[in-house]
Amino acid sequence: MLEIDRLEVRYSGIEALRGVSMTVNSGEVVAMIGPNGAGKSTLLNAISGIVPAHAGHIRLDGRELTVLPAWTVSAMGVLHVPEGRQVFADLTVLENLQLGETCLKSRPRRTTLTDVYDLFPILRERQAQLAGSLSGGQQQMLAIGRALMGSPEILLLDEPSLGLAPVIIAQVFDALRALRASGLTILLIEQNAHLALQASDRAYIIDQGRIVHSGASADLAQDDSVIAHYLGDLAGA
Amino acid sequence: MSNTILGYIPLLDLFFLHLGLAFSQWIVLRAGVFSLATVGLAAIGAYTAGIIATKTGIPAPLGLLAGAFTGMAAALLLSWPLARLRGVYQAIATVAFLQIILSLNIYFEGLTGGAMGLNSIPKSVGTLTLFAATAGTVYLMVAITHSRIGRAFDAIRQNEAVAASLGVSITGHQALAFAISGALAGLFGALEAYHSYALVPTQFGFQYLIAIMSYVVLGGRNTVLGPIVGTAILILLPEIARPLAEARMLVYGLLLILVINFLPKGITDTLVDMLKARNLARRKVAAETAETRS
Repeated sequence: MLEIDRLEVRYSGIEALRGVSMTVNSGEVVAMIGPNGAGKSTLLNAISGIVPAHAGHIRLDGRELTVLPAWTVSAMGVLHVPEGRQVFADLTVLENLQLGETCLKSRPRRTTLTDVYDLFPILRERQAQLAGSLSGGQQQMLAIGRALMGSPEILLLDEPSLGLAPVIIAQVFDALRALRASGLTILLIEQNAHLALQASDRAYIIDQGRIVHSGASADLAQDDSVIAHYLGDLAGA
Repeated sequence: MSNTILGYIPLLDLFFLHLGLAFSQWIVLRAGVFSLATVGLAAIGAYTAGIIATKTGIPAPLGLLAGAFTGMAAALLLSWPLARLRGVYQAIATVAFLQIILSLNIYFEGLTGGAMGLNSIPKSVGTLTLFAATAGTVYLMVAITHSRIGRAFDAIRQNEAVAASLGVSITGHQALAFAISGALAGLFGALEAYHSYALVPTQFGFQYLIAIMSYVVLGGRNTVLGPIVGTAILILLPEIARPLAEARMLVYGLLLILVINFLPKGITDTLVDMLKARNLARRKVAAETAETRS
């Protein structure tokens, strides 16, 4: 479904991605794990058109996304939940969710407001409240809900566990499990490799702008070199 | 009694004229564009309408429409190069635009009257017309605020990258904000031309720009009430404190410095935030007491 071919991205001369190739198939949850600064967020920003690609291709069902502006990419159903939530603090929860529908231009609506509220009941309770007054976990749920309002073909999730308490992370990942069960295609970026491997079908490991490892998530979780490099001492825990 | 009210009519007219321009400034700021073009666009509308009234026999309502239209057209043209700039660079570019308009005004002396200005424009606009135009503008602003377009403006202002990744076209919406701003500036410029018999080139200068900006910054940038409150305060202030009238620009400058430091969101936005926070706290307390009871 999503195909990335030798993608290169540079920030003022510095190479952030050095020829990344990967695929995400329809209905699959693919995790991208790797250390800080490996290029994970850059990859998502390039897919959604926020940063320009220097070379290579990004295709969705064979259609070229590489040169399209961000607002057209989302109109095609590629929806990005940015790192650090980035909800519109001065708008209400409901207004944030309504903004998520903006990209539904020609595609049919598959997710309704009720679906989002059923997935995250706290958002229904807080719908008239300003998004800036929500807790971090609630803002993460709002950011995911906002993207779901655009009925994504594929959901790009950037570090949904970032800065959240373990009990809240569990709630967010419960919701992701429900979305996965509903057949949604997801590309998940995580620093917390354990969490990512549990929640995904396949995974890629990225380091210094290159894919260094890939495979079924269950296999990678058992792989000694992966454990040594990327799962660290958490592996024993 | 009626005499005292009549005495305030010119002040009311001034309030309506300035409020229209304040909304022209407000709407671009709302969409995250730091443009200072409003006064320049108003000059275009004013001179278009003034020239039409003095050199042709076209009736005043059409002159007003022509003012709004040329203001909008100039704004749309301006939005194209400005789309590549951000923040303070947009401000610099639009101040340059104002200087160009003022220079052109002097250069095309035959058409605009040059430094002598445009005189003996028939007065065809009174308080009632000004009120109608202002009321229509306020209605339009409220309607935009509660529409999909208003939400898109807010989203762009708060976080352009996220707005774009949700499907909001940045250039499209900013061009739209510019078009509305230009039409308003052109219309209220034209109203000013038909209200005051004459236009002088110094009228649409840097001082006017600062005054309009002060209304929005003092009143508030995110609520429709903001420009209304800001304009009312700054127009009334020199009248209430007569000795201050001479030092109008000094007072504006001081007020701007104070507001930016102590009420960075402006008067109404700060009050609205406080009310919202209080309501939220009250609802929380209510929810907690309900919980402990059950």
